[in-house]
Amino acid sequence: MFDPMTKVLVVDDMLTMRKIVTKILKELGFSDIHEAQDGVEAWDKAQTGGFGLIISDWNMPNCTGLELLKKVRADQKLVKTPFLLVTAEAEQSQVAEAIKCGVDQYVVKPFSKDALKAKLESTYKKVSVRLAA
Amino acid sequence: MNVFARPCYQIDKHEGYTVVKLESNLDFTNCKVFDGQVDELSSNVFVVINCDSLPELPKDWLRCLLKIHLNTKRDNKFLKLIHVNGILLSNLKREGIDTTFRIAKDLRDALQETGLAPKRQLNTEFINPFLAATIHVLKVQAQVEASSGQIYMKKPGEVMTGDVSGVIGIVSDSFNGAVVISFPEKTFLMVMSSMLGEEYTKITQEIVDGAGELTNMIFGQAKVVLNDKGFGIKTAIPSVISGKDHSLSAMTNGPVVVVPFTTPYGKFFVEICLSQ
Repeated sequence: MFDPMTKVLVVDDMLTMRKIVTKILKELGFSDIHEAQDGVEAWDKAQTGGFGLIISDWNMPNCTGLELLKKVRADQKLVKTPFLLVTAEAEQSQVAEAIKCGVDQYVVKPFSKDALKAKLESTYKKVSVRLAA
Repeated sequence: MNVFARPCYQIDKHEGYTVVKLESNLDFTNCKVFDGQVDELSSNVFVVINCDSLPELPKDWLRCLLKIHLNTKRDNKFLKLIHVNGILLSNLKREGIDTTFRIAKDLRDALQETGLAPKRQLNTEFINPFLAATIHVLKVQAQVEASSGQIYMKKPGEVMTGDVSGVIGIVSDSFNGAVVISFPEKTFLMVMSSMLGEEYTKITQEIVDGAGELTNMIFGQAKVVLNDKGFGIKTAIPSVISGKDHSLSAMTNGPVVVVPFTTPYGKFFVEICLSQ
């Protein structure tokens, strides 16, 4: 599992969803949690932040989660950052697109604490393999 | 080409789909011409082949249809045959391709699965995914058990009021509508307190967008189910309306269905409307 000291960026245009994700992360032991309200703000923070994990909503105005993911994966400094997309619409075509763009995991809303924990564990395993390669 | 010959096929292009009517006088020469048009007519659209006047399909024409079938499959669309008679069906079975092509009764039937001619009625097929999603979302995200009451059609002039409402547009290529989830203050505060793990005693900016997020999740869940049935509903972003006893008027000339819900914390309702 991720080190609880990992610096996490939670991105969502909905304040309540940021609160839900943050609350679960705190319950899982994370303490260095930062928030951004869309992909634009997240991109600014990501470039200067040294984040070890990004959890982003997909459907946001200004810059969507998928656009943010593409930017992160195209940036030499950020390319390896573990990235989870959160979506309320898990249609096959969407999932395929996210995987193609390099997402590590996706979480379908609504989700429980256990579901997010399982996704984080799966992301960590995947990323560990990637970093070891 | 013999100028006196009756044309053996007709192509009608529409937005999102193409209809090809095949006549009984299909011949090799016309097949070559048709073959040259296959890629263009089947690029990124659904294709419907009207076999109304067709006793059988010559092998060269079958090859053209297989080509269209593969093109549409590549673009996540499909080819459908309509008005297929018993003789033609036997012909397809003999060639071993009767299960390759999808067959529909008529054009409307064929298009319903594409979302281009969806069933617009506010029937149980359309409403149930929203109903199930509402119960599921509240249970998983807010740990609140909700149960639905008697569904009814909103009467003309009937006004529903709420204190916090989430609204999201239902947009597809062929119909529009909206979903509204509306809470009285007490229910909303209890649901938000349960969802966020903090006690809230008044509606503030900090929690008001929770109605939008719940609407977004309910819409997202229902959208996946409905799009599997070909409704073609597009992604949308919810809005929130807040204010004591605000009323909601549907901006549609179509029917509005109201689904009342009860929870241990009080009532709320979901409204679904579609334009005609």
